[in-house]
Amino acid sequence: MAAAVASSSTSTSQQTDTLKAATFQRLHPRIYLERFLAESVRPDGRALEQARDITVNVGSITTADGSSLVRLGDTTIVCGVKAEIAEPELDSPNEGYIVPNLDLPAICSPRFKPGPPSEEAQVLSDRLNEAFLASKIIDLSSLCIHSGKAVWVLYVDATCINYDGNAFDAALIALVAALRNTHLPKATYDEDTGLTVCSRRERIPLQINASPLSMSFGIFESTHLLADPTSFEEPLLDTTVTVVLTDKGELVSATQVGLGGTGSQDVLMSCIGIAKRRLAEVRPQIYRS
Amino acid sequence: MAVDRVLPGQPILIPKGPAPLLGNGVYSRDGTVRASLLGVPRNQGSTLTITRITPRAPVPNSIVLGSVTRLTPIQAMVAITVVDGVPLPLGEEFTGVIRAQDVRSTEKDKVKIGDCFRGGDVVKGLVISLGDARSYYITTARNDLGVVFATSEAGATMEPVSWQEMRCPKTGRTEKRKCAKPEGV
Amino acid sequence: MSTFDRRRINGPEESYPPLFEDGHDVGDAYANWKVGEPRQRRSAGDVRPIFMKPGLINQANGSAYVETEKTKLVCAVYGPRQSRNTAYSERGRLNVEVKFTPFSCTKRRAPIRDAEDRSVAVQIHQAILPSVRLELLPKSTVDVFITIIENDGLESCYASGAVAASAALADAGIEMLGLVTSCSSSMVGKEIWLDPTEREISLAKGSLVLACMPALGIVTSVWQSGEVKPVEAIECMEACQERCADIHAIVSEALLANAKVI
Repeated sequence: MAAAVASSSTSTSQQTDTLKAATFQRLHPRIYLERFLAESVRPDGRALEQARDITVNVGSITTADGSSLVRLGDTTIVCGVKAEIAEPELDSPNEGYIVPNLDLPAICSPRFKPGPPSEEAQVLSDRLNEAFLASKIIDLSSLCIHSGKAVWVLYVDATCINYDGNAFDAALIALVAALRNTHLPKATYDEDTGLTVCSRRERIPLQINASPLSMSFGIFESTHLLADPTSFEEPLLDTTVTVVLTDKGELVSATQVGLGGTGSQDVLMSCIGIAKRRLAEVRPQIYRS
Repeated sequence: MAVDRVLPGQPILIPKGPAPLLGNGVYSRDGTVRASLLGVPRNQGSTLTITRITPRAPVPNSIVLGSVTRLTPIQAMVAITVVDGVPLPLGEEFTGVIRAQDVRSTEKDKVKIGDCFRGGDVVKGLVISLGDARSYYITTARNDLGVVFATSEAGATMEPVSWQEMRCPKTGRTEKRKCAKPEGV
Repeated sequence: MSTFDRRRINGPEESYPPLFEDGHDVGDAYANWKVGEPRQRRSAGDVRPIFMKPGLINQANGSAYVETEKTKLVCAVYGPRQSRNTAYSERGRLNVEVKFTPFSCTKRRAPIRDAEDRSVAVQIHQAILPSVRLELLPKSTVDVFITIIENDGLESCYASGAVAASAALADAGIEMLGLVTSCSSSMVGKEIWLDPTEREISLAKGSLVLACMPALGIVTSVWQSGEVKPVEAIECMEACQERCADIHAIVSEALLANAKVI
């Protein structure tokens, strides 16, 4: 089908203004952010201590034993659990393994280049693992198939497909939601053959002990506390704070990287307060499944 | 809004009369004019184009903005972040170079790079060639080209006072730069 | 195989995918199927419904998500970027990279680039290369990154990957001669089954994937494996080409619905 040619002129003044603002943002990111914060608003229209909306979908990936797709604002993470079988360690014959990893591939942002995991991805994977260990999401002995012989290994792999900042909070939701969605086949260890055989019909949901949630913050120029920073804001922050809470809102960990405070108030305490309020509010929606 | 958007590969009806020149976003193959971009075909003068405002690579005659990353006695390196008024996404940039002979149009052989640019300055330039494998060649040899934003040694944003000096509002001291004539002056 | 990597959280030195009892998976439509019997769940010439959404990855210049039942993948286009570590070139470079997520296949894939990633990338590159006007992009590289979220057979990845890549390029405003669409087929017995699943490929004696620019009536790539007679290969190509026109209509609609430009 052939199309006709339009005659009107091309660019509107609105387009020109948008481009001018974007150009200023690109050339002078710090001043750009300062001007917004001076008006107590973020470039995306949020209040300073306001986090972005969260959506969670689970179970759509049939090749995984459990899966989730999480969006935190525009940051998007898919996570899948693959269960394999291994021999337990000699000193802990009844304990299985959980292996969480986050990948930040080149597809998700111009900041990341193809190749092995970036330093940022390594740091995030380590922090996620620590949150897993600290909050005891799963009792590792519940992954035992046969003491000393066979245990489950849960590979929990999260991949970011759109990076718009604060991957930690989004990844933690994705990992926990995928585990909560995980069903393992009923497995039997045969002492004669030394093989573990799984049922094709019977699957059992994983026993989840805890479903931690986190909330992260950044501090800009030692004055403004920004909740749930975007990829534009992140490089401009001098300090970041992450609060991890249990189901009941108890503190699992609070970490601060960077020395910046916001004047007289105790930053860590106010972050914990904000996180408690926010996470209590969003928890039912995140884990309704 | 009765204008039709076209998709890459879609034929475009050319009205009878003199054939238009083909600009961006369209091409001719086997006697048929087709779109190569998603957008609305328009006549700009006698040229048929489809314009998309997307980040693009510099080409000769592109106006670029970027910040000075490194200085040597013979050239200034520039990280290009805006091409023809369209900013590149965060994390993307092209490498440009302003060679000493391309800084200004007069007394080219007396140019001292250190008296024209400093690291961190934002420069407006014109792409003169695709350069070599590494960088695009940029000139600032025009009144409206040169440093458009610079911070003084005291940390304040300076104002141009002539085409080769800027003044710090904090200390009142002047620093040497190849300044661009501010717009609208 | 030891996959210890100090840059990742590691599990035990060795682990094995679960071994299942004899028999077939619940819901395997081909459990008792024999050659000569008709295709299950759809007719031979039908393709699965295609869901496409351009523009999901706002950090990229262009992107597209494609889902055909169990095949799910996402593509992002970055650039034109300055080519690095390459000699000056008058023509732009088209770089295609494919990654399978570790959970995308029946057996877990260790997160290392392997030969399969590259072969899928090569097929998609070949399918879209003739469509991109690289002569307009001297010295630049266009990066096409594809992440396969769920894999239901390589043939389906080739086809959906090419469709996603072409749509993402159009979304990114990269000039091209026409949209590329692609369709896969397999010879099962004496029948041509279009858009086969991984299970159906396992029943086939050969398969063929065709990519083309329907607006121009030009084929950009043909990939074939297994055993088929020349006449069967040509029949497969014709059947695929016909379906490519339908897929082109779906892609066009999705792109126009998403386009921000007025």
